[in-house]
Amino acid sequence: MAKDGSVPQRMRSRGTGPTLTPMKKLIAIVEDEAALRDNYAAAFTRAGYEVRTFANRRTALSAFASRLPDLVVIDVSLEDEPEGGFDLCRELRAKSAELPLIFLTARDSELDAVSGLRLGADDFLTKDLSLAHLLARVNALFRRVDALRRPTSSEQILHRGPLTLDVERLEAKWEGEIVLLSLTEFWIVHALARHPGHVRNRQQLMDAARVVLDDDTITSHVKRIRRKFQAFDPAFDSIHTVYGMGYRWAG
Amino acid sequence: MSLRLKLFLLALLTLVLPVAGCQYAREMEAVLREGEQQSLLAVAETIATSLQGRERLLYRDRRWPGGGSAGELRSSAALDLTPLPLRGEPLIDGFADDWPQAPQAWKHYAAGTDTLALLTGWQGKYLYLLLEVRDAAPLYDAPGADLLDPSSFGDRVWLAFDDGEDSVLAGAPQRQYFLATTGPGALLAHRIEMREYGRRVAVPEPRIEAAWRSIEGGYRIEVRVPLSMIGARFGVLLDDRASRGAAPVSLGNLQPGDLAASARLILAPPELGTYLRQFGQPGVQLAVGSQQGALLAEVNPLPVSAAFAPESLLARFYRRFLDRGEALRAPDTDPGRLAAASVRAARSGSSTTSLERSTDDRRLVVAAAAPVFDAARREVIGVVQVAQTAERWLLLRDRALARLLNLTLAATAVAVLGSFAFAARLGFRLARLRNATESALGEEGRLVTRLPEARARDELGDLARSFTALLDRLEAYTAYLRTLAGKLAHEIRTPLTIVRSSLENLENEGVGDAARIYVTRAREGSERLGGILKAMGAATRVEEAIASAERVGFDLAPVVASAVDAYVAAFPTRRFELGLPDGPCRVEGSPELLVQLLDKLIDNAVDFSADAALITVRLSRVGGEAWLEVENPGSHLPADAGTRLFESLWQSRQEQGGGIHFGLGLYVARLIADFHHGTMEASNLSQDQGQGVRMRLRIPLLSYG
Repeated sequence: MAKDGSVPQRMRSRGTGPTLTPMKKLIAIVEDEAALRDNYAAAFTRAGYEVRTFANRRTALSAFASRLPDLVVIDVSLEDEPEGGFDLCRELRAKSAELPLIFLTARDSELDAVSGLRLGADDFLTKDLSLAHLLARVNALFRRVDALRRPTSSEQILHRGPLTLDVERLEAKWEGEIVLLSLTEFWIVHALARHPGHVRNRQQLMDAARVVLDDDTITSHVKRIRRKFQAFDPAFDSIHTVYGMGYRWAG
Repeated sequence: MSLRLKLFLLALLTLVLPVAGCQYAREMEAVLREGEQQSLLAVAETIATSLQGRERLLYRDRRWPGGGSAGELRSSAALDLTPLPLRGEPLIDGFADDWPQAPQAWKHYAAGTDTLALLTGWQGKYLYLLLEVRDAAPLYDAPGADLLDPSSFGDRVWLAFDDGEDSVLAGAPQRQYFLATTGPGALLAHRIEMREYGRRVAVPEPRIEAAWRSIEGGYRIEVRVPLSMIGARFGVLLDDRASRGAAPVSLGNLQPGDLAASARLILAPPELGTYLRQFGQPGVQLAVGSQQGALLAEVNPLPVSAAFAPESLLARFYRRFLDRGEALRAPDTDPGRLAAASVRAARSGSSTTSLERSTDDRRLVVAAAAPVFDAARREVIGVVQVAQTAERWLLLRDRALARLLNLTLAATAVAVLGSFAFAARLGFRLARLRNATESALGEEGRLVTRLPEARARDELGDLARSFTALLDRLEAYTAYLRTLAGKLAHEIRTPLTIVRSSLENLENEGVGDAARIYVTRAREGSERLGGILKAMGAATRVEEAIASAERVGFDLAPVVASAVDAYVAAFPTRRFELGLPDGPCRVEGSPELLVQLLDKLIDNAVDFSADAALITVRLSRVGGEAWLEVENPGSHLPADAGTRLFESLWQSRQEQGGGIHFGLGLYVARLIADFHHGTMEASNLSQDQGQGVRMRLRIPLLSYG
């Protein structure tokens, strides 16, 4: 609900921008590893984004004080702060509830992913991810932001019983209520619900989510998705595990 | 040799105590004996000194045997008679049973087949004679005939001695008596007297009593003569006639021709006994003998052996143990003689002490002897012997010894038992520590760092604490090793990401076809590196998954069935066979994790089997457990594998596939088994099942209570 409420504010801020020409989207990369930072920057620049890079939390924060970027990619551990990324995320969320945030980290532990997503990050990606996939993620996030400003087009909406998936806005609803899913989670739900009854193995789910994850992570993602839906409907049992193979949507 | 045995042997060393005690007792006994002997010796020497030069007190004839000045009276010692001092008066009846057993005191005379054995003794005022004659044809005097008619003579005994009426000194006229009888019974002695005109008359002598008794092979004659009749010399002769009127064969110590007695009667005067009695003390034998050892007088004769009380078995054992090695001679048991040692002392002219003991009875006698010299102290004229049975202090010693032995044996027993108990306890503690140490690197590779005995204050406790410290460090080290792969993977990931992203950027920058090959290769290399990193971090991820896993009750059978279906598709080069139990197989845990465990087992089975091999997956209920078994044909496990197979970073088999292995697969399986309170087992298939390996997971079934 807070998300809905923040949308006009965000549009307003954009609308009061000084130039009318379509601006390049600004992506901020907060990453302490210089080589990696520059590589990401090069990839984003090539894809047509404006990129600003920061090596630590303090420089990033002081820069963000004057202007918020359109999307932030944060590493969890920043120089001398092992959890500096989380702190930065918290501070940015305090500034703006809508700012798309992506964690990109070498840490692949379940715990980190959970805490990152709980802090309001839109996605938690490991550095195994290829640049192409990363770009796809970023595009998708921007698309969601854009889609929020447009009326929904019905052909982009998938109805499966109580589940409604708005592919344009990357938004999931259960019996009309918005279920907050990370991007990865959304794509997993989408891949399953598009063909109910069909088993989707882990590789297919990864491909759908455009993410490289290991089996365990898929398992924990699915577990988390179930939990989120069960928060709205304790009887939620639409995602079945097919042991040894994958999952399927039971419509 | 076990500790127990060693300590037992050590405890046996306390057996030295009784041995030392025995030695002590023996020395104590020696000291006692020495003192006893010295006091006896003092008495003997006192008496001997008091008797010095007093031949008249020692010998009736005032001469000592072998000595003397009157040459004409010198007799041969062989003919001399030394009567035994008798303890009682024998009845003159021809029976020998009231005489002492004194084989050495007998004198033997022989002529042809006939023999005469003569035993003399004295008691009080009488001299006693016992003659045993071996004679095939005893001949009595003709009855009713004149005693002096030679044709009537039978076997006759002649006695001849100095007339002792006036004096016992040598030189007195001699008298002859004959004993004759016409049949067994009392004999009468006669003296032949010359009367006027050469008439000879046989005068009876009633003071001499005698008796004749026929015995087997001969006859026995017992005679009693008052000592008052007898002078210095005395002789006996037996005229043995084969037939009446035949010439006699003479046996004895008289001259057959003139019947003159030349042999001395070595005998002490009665005063000697009286004299000795004044030195007497109870239990101490005082004896005076000739220098040949013949007993002259005796006070307090030693008791005969039958008087001693029987000994207990234990006492006899101690005695045997203690007296071993002591050379004890059999005492001179002949009642008429002094001890042999005393006689030797007399001959050598010096005092001596001796300990004598018979082998057959338990009589132990301690004796001291001192020689009696003549007035000039040149010649030994006799021996004084003072003797005492050693029973008194032997008893003392034995009693002390028995107590000592009992005490020390008890001490030994206590020491042995104590050390045995101690050894048992020590052995138990050592065994416990050893077992704990052996199993410290426990099943499935976990380290148990808590050892027993670590609280003990002794060296064993030190040892246990050292072990504990060592195990702690080992534990820390293995923990480090266990997480090393994960940490390493994490550290490598960032530079790898740099390489990858750089390569991607490079591709997008547009590279030439020639260079693209290398970029592709580099990408492939980095992909493989990524795979390796993932494998290295597997254990860490599983541990995290386990930490966040929820336990639910579920039926394992459909989960396994579904998983095996997936394997059929995933591993087209292997065949799968699935065995399921009838009915549900409910367990508690995480189905995802169990499938992951099964994945590892299947991976393992695939890696170690050939193409087209049949992999068997079997789920069964055994007792209260669910058994999930995966069998694959292939090479056997190494002998030492056992449960180590499930340790982290342990790998020994040469796998056939080319997959990446860090020995983490089965470790992951074990972690998951632990989460389900189950165990992993690996074993080789028996021969009839075909060569291969069986992995088994055992987890408890969920009870329906």
